[in-house]
This record gives sequence, C-alpha cells and structure tokens, in this order.
Amino acid sequence: MEMALDLELIFRVLVFPGFTFILFFTLFCDWVERKVEARMQNRVGPAVAGPAGILQPLADFVKLLTKEDIVPRDAKKLVFKFAPIISFSFMVFALCFLPIDGASAIPGAGFAGDLVFIMALVTVANFLLFLSGWASANPYSAIGSARVLTQFLGYDIPLFLLALTPAFLAKSLSIAAIAANQYLPFILLAPWAFVLFIITLQAELEKDPFDIPHAESEVVGGLETEYCGGKLAFLHLTRDVQIVFGAALVVELFLGGPYGPVFFGLPVFWYSLWFIIKLLAVVVITEYVTCLFARLRIDQVLTANWKILLPLSVLSLTLTVAMATWIYPLMV
Amino acid sequence: MGNGVQIQSTHLGKASIQIPAGSNRNVVKVLLETDKNAGISAITGLDLGEKIGLMYHVRTNGVIVTISTELPKDNPQIPSITDLIPGANFHEREVADLFGVIFQGHPNPGRLVLPEDWPENLYPLRKDAKIDELTTRPATSSFSKGAVQSEAESKLVNIFVGPQHPALLEPEKFSVKVDGEIVKAVEPRIGYVHRGVEKASEQRTYLQDVYLVERICGICNSCHASCFVETVEKILGTEVPPRGKYLRTIILELNRLHSHLLLLGHAGLEIGYETLFQYMWRDREPIMDLTELLTGNRVIASSLTVGGVRRDLKETDVPKIKTQLVILRKRMDFYQNLFNSEPSLRMRTRNVGTLSKEDALKLCVVGPVARASGVNMDVRKDEPYEAYGEIPFKLITRSEGDTYARLMVRLDEVTESINIIEYALDHLPEGPYRVKVPRVVVAGEAVSRVEAPRGELFYYVKSNGTAYPERVKVRTPTFANIPAFLKTAIGGSIADVPANFVSLDPCFSCTDR
Repeated sequence: MEMALDLELIFRVLVFPGFTFILFFTLFCDWVERKVEARMQNRVGPAVAGPAGILQPLADFVKLLTKEDIVPRDAKKLVFKFAPIISFSFMVFALCFLPIDGASAIPGAGFAGDLVFIMALVTVANFLLFLSGWASANPYSAIGSARVLTQFLGYDIPLFLLALTPAFLAKSLSIAAIAANQYLPFILLAPWAFVLFIITLQAELEKDPFDIPHAESEVVGGLETEYCGGKLAFLHLTRDVQIVFGAALVVELFLGGPYGPVFFGLPVFWYSLWFIIKLLAVVVITEYVTCLFARLRIDQVLTANWKILLPLSVLSLTLTVAMATWIYPLMV
Repeated sequence: MGNGVQIQSTHLGKASIQIPAGSNRNVVKVLLETDKNAGISAITGLDLGEKIGLMYHVRTNGVIVTISTELPKDNPQIPSITDLIPGANFHEREVADLFGVIFQGHPNPGRLVLPEDWPENLYPLRKDAKIDELTTRPATSSFSKGAVQSEAESKLVNIFVGPQHPALLEPEKFSVKVDGEIVKAVEPRIGYVHRGVEKASEQRTYLQDVYLVERICGICNSCHASCFVETVEKILGTEVPPRGKYLRTIILELNRLHSHLLLLGHAGLEIGYETLFQYMWRDREPIMDLTELLTGNRVIASSLTVGGVRRDLKETDVPKIKTQLVILRKRMDFYQNLFNSEPSLRMRTRNVGTLSKEDALKLCVVGPVARASGVNMDVRKDEPYEAYGEIPFKLITRSEGDTYARLMVRLDEVTESINIIEYALDHLPEGPYRVKVPRVVVAGEAVSRVEAPRGELFYYVKSNGTAYPERVKVRTPTFANIPAFLKTAIGGSIADVPANFVSLDPCFSCTDR
C-alpha cells in the first residue's frame, strides 16, 4: 500500500502532470508562440525539425546544451552558474501547485494560502534572474538586470491586486478552490479584471510593449549577454516556463481552471485537455498583443505601471467588491 | 571679397572662385550670407604637385559655388571656417587626415577617418604617399588610456555603441557618455571600415571606376554610379539621350524606394516593433525584383554607364512594373494609417532627437533629415539632373524635426517615388538609350550632385587627359548627417539613441568610403 502510493506520487511529480509534462509542454508552447508570431508577421516560422517544425524548440535547447560553456573571469561564479537553474526550478515548483488534471502535480500540496505562496515563488525566481545578470560583470547585463528589477517593481503589485479579484469572488486564497469555484468562469463575471490581468502579465513576461529588458538595440543581450551553452539554455527555458506559468495562472484564476465538460471516460483526460486548450488560447492572446506593439521606453513603462495600471487594479478590486451583491447569485 | 579673387564659370558648380589662401574665411562668409539656407557641401583636397589645392564647395541658393585656393605643400596651413559654419567640422578634419592640411583654430582637430596608430606625416591621398611606409607603424598608439579626467567627466559612464553592436548593422564606434539615463556627450570615431575608394579610383580607368563607386554602398549604389558618370559626362561634354535619362531616373527612384522601405523597417526593429520590420521588408521584396527586371541585378544594379544606361527596358516589362507599384501604393496607405495611429510607435518617435531648422542649417545636414526640420532642399528640385526637370513631383517637408518627422518624410517620399516612376514610364521617350564615349577623358574637372535616398551625394572628379582620373572626391550624405545625431542625442535618454540614430538612415559603408 505504502509502496504503490509512492509510485503514483513519483509518476505524478516526475512524469505527468509534473516535470516531464511541464518541460515538453513548455517547449510545445514555445513552438506555438513562434509559429503564431511568424504567421502574424507573414513568415513561415520553424518548419524543418519535425512536422511543421514542432521539434525546433527542443533542437535549439539540445544544441545550446552541446555548446561551449564559458564563465567570465570577473563574474561572481557561484551566482552566475546556479541562478539560472535555481530560477528554473522555482518556476517549475510553482507550476506544481496548479491543478492541471483536476489536482496539482504533488497531491495534497495545495493549502489555504498557496496563491500568495506561488506569487512569492515567482517573485524570487525573477529576482534570481536579476542576480544572474548582475553577477555577469558586464555593463549591458547590469543595465539589463537593473531594468528587470525596475520593471518588476512596477508590475508586481498590480499583478497581485488583480489576482485578488478571483480570490475575493471565490472567497479563498487557495488556487484549487478558486479554480473549482468557477461554475461560470470569472472572465465572464469580472471581464475588466481579466483584461487588466492580461496587460500586466504582458509586463511580467517581459513581452512587447514591455520587453524593455530585452531591447537588444539598447542593451545588447540584456542579462543574457555573458551567458552561453547550457546556462543560456536554462535561461531560455526559464523564460518559456515563465510564459507557461503566466498563462496557467490566467487559466486557473479566470478561465475556470482545468474544469470543463466531461463527455466520456476518465475526467482526468478531459481536465488535462481543457487545461491545455485554455492555456494555448492565453498564449496566443499574449503573442497577438506582442506583435501589435512597439517597445516602450523604460520611463514610459514605469509611468504606465504606477500612474495607470496600479490605480486601475485598485479600482478593479473595488468594483468587484461593489458588484459582489450582483455577482454572487450568478456563481451558483 | 578682397584682392586676387577671380570668378569664372566652369563645371565646378554655378561659379568657380580663385582666391589667395589667406582670404578663405572672408569669401566663405560673404557667400554664406547670400542665402539664409546656405551651407557647405564638401571640402576637397587636391595634390597639385608642388602645392596642395583646397576647394570649398559652398551650397547657396540651391547651387554649388566652388572656392579654390592653393597652399604650399611643406607647410599647408589655412584658417578654419568651422566657427563660421559648424557643418565644416568633419570636412576639415577629413582633409586634415588625408592631405595633412592644418586648419588653424579648428575646435577639435584629431583623427577622423585614419586609425589612431597611422604614422605621422603620411597622408594617403597625396600622390607621393608611399604605401610601403605603412609597414613602419609605430609600436605605441596614441590612445589616451591613462588620461587624467576632470571630476565632472569622471562621473559620466561611457557606453560604447559599436563598433559591433546590435543597434548598428555596420561597424562604427560611438562612445556615448551618460549620466544615469541621460546622454551628455557623443564622440564619434568613424573610419572603422574605411576602404580608400577615393585612392583606389585613381588607379582604375573611368569605366572601372563606375563599378568601383557603385560598391561604395549596396543600397544607394545607382546613385553613386549616377553621380560619378554625370561628372565624367560634364568633363566630356556628353549629352545623354532622353531615353537614357528617363531610364536612369527610374533606376534611381527604385533605389530610393527600396532604401526608404529598408530604413522604415529597420526603424521598426530599433524600437522593438518587429512586425513592422517584417511587413516592410516583405513589401520591399518586389522592388528588388523590379530592379532585377530592369537592370538584370537585384542589388548592385551596374546598369548606369558613361553616356547612358547599359540595358533598355522591354516594352512588355512596363505593365509588370506598374502592377507592382499599384500594390505598393496600397500598402503605403496602410503604413500611413499605421504611423498616424499606432500609439506605441508614436510614443517612441515623437519629440525624440528634435533638430531645429537653425541647427539643421548650421550643421549643413542633407536629405530627409534636413527636410524633416523644415529645410526646403532637394537636388532633384534645386539643380535637376537626369529627367527630374521634366517630371512633376512634390517636395516633402515637415516642420517638427523629430524622429517621427524624419520617418514620415521618407514614408511620403515613397509615394512620390511611385508617382515619379509611373510618370517616367508613361512618358518614356523613344530612341537610343546610350551614346558611345571615348575611354580617354579630356583634361578638366567637374562636380556633380545627386539626391540619394539619404540626401545630397556629392562627387568631384578631376581628369588629367588620360584614361585614369587624377582625383575622385566623394562626399556621402551620411557623412554630412552624423553631426545631426551628435547634436540631437545630447540631453535625450540613452534608450532613444537607437531610434534617433536610425532615423538619420546612417550608412557607414558610405561614410567609410
């Protein structure tokens, strides 16, 4: 009995919906992003590796792993080496708390305030990314990581305030409870919060119009400038996992989580399918926004964050509270 | 104007003035005062054997007036005119580098196109310069590595944009001194990929030179060829048949079309608008195909030659060109709408790098950069060459002078270019498209100007009666426009540097010819 339970736990953590699934699904999402962006820009996009180039992200990842790995002489070696991998692990760990096939990857890991916990995890992961650039001993990396931090200070508060809207509606700070409480997805009940959340997410994921830290015409490679080989592969993977995490958060908070109609057979299968479909829809939306805009300047982003996004997110929460009397009856 | 001044009419512009060396400041001053839009186009150095010749090509009332003087070779000194017209700064430094002329009172004399470790007293464009002397380079360079900085200076952070940098598609070094995010000074160091085309062209025949000067710049290649062959034709007294002129005009405008589209796309890339970049470059592709249809080559057209063009346009190709132009015109409406309404694009380009009309005139900038600052200036209107005198088109100017205006001027010029090509195709004269010319060119000298996509392109050619030119001087538009960037970047944000710089449409292969 004890043994069998352990096997299931190991399978859930390592294979599905845990590490292996997250890894390959991340690479798949990367492919979707690249393909969508390419089609939007009238290009072909990845087309060679695998059918329709679906293996291209994997090929890129493996290629980077085989490249020479150089550590600059003046870099803070410990931070420089481990920050990308630790940051990646934090992102994957945070994903393990989200219900993917109806339950989270680690059964019973969720607790009453895990929304706050995973937001904190992501904050730490972002801070580690900043550290990795800061440790590079390169002026471009230093500017790039300073920008990560500056931008992140601006959007972190609005993002959390906006995440509180679904929590308030579900009367819980537990992700699982929020997802399970959406008989009618919160996107329909509080669409204003959803729109704002997507915009703020665009900043969190450092995508256009907020991809200041990656402005290659200004800061060359940003915090990645000195990275190469396997460590660069992990930095790229961290970014991709970050995108999946952001999209997954939107799914859990606004789109009813993995839940949806079960037509026949195992609910686990349908839940996973609904989760993947919803998540891909969010990825396509963010990529669409990315293609539409030019990159803003750092001062313009900060102005947008503090003068527009923050008051709007407070307003959004207030509006939700004010409307609660009318919204609650709809939730049953 | 002083004693010893002789005025005559030659191919050196509207008038050529011979003056004694000491009175250059007075004469230039008098000429600059004749027109409030006056500026200096170029300064040409010449090796006259015992003496160094110096020519100031002043642009006044839309035409060129050349002031020539001579300096002793062993002590070539002349007062600087940079304080009269700041735009002469780079021109004087270049002549100082290549001919060893000392400009007394120049505000910042120093190497501009030659490397720091270039030997002293070796001036490459002098005829007696021995290339062997290059092997005896001094081991130590004159880099001021341990130079003592003033306290105010040491607070500034030095950020290098280039020689290799993602914002620059070609190598050139700009050291940007920033205080926080604000740019305090920009120091250019051009010449990183200087190829010595001016020297090389003296060792080739006129016909070979047409191909050589075309390779100065891959984008505005036909403009270089056109400007060079026009100068030679002036010396020869050759009249190009009308059909040749019209075909040249079409090739030149195709050049402008693809150059402007390239730049607008590239500007998108610099402000992180990748979709704009991909769209623009896709729409540019048919223009490259049209160039191939017309000339046989996609990039370096190699179609212009002394006496006309090398290839006629087939009657059956006319509809093909027109169809593509109609499609492009529709696309330009889309881009007009985009540039006028897309908020993030306007936020990044409006009020960025504003160049006032006064500064534009003082710095003698040319082309779309000058026109975006409200200067009415276009060689196609001022001194029509090829068939431009017969073709109606609008001169696009704007008054804002910022990055946005510089991009919009180009956007509007694309539409004008389409009009010009369509008009030229409709009114294409019958007859021969080239005349045969002798290979040996009679002794003489001439200047010529062409409105390249980036602005006024200037050539001076001196012939000594052989098949080889005595001197070829090239003043490219980017060389004249870089001072505008140095001026406008100061006080702006470091994040605006790429957008501001790219709006000049910098071409370093032109600058380092």
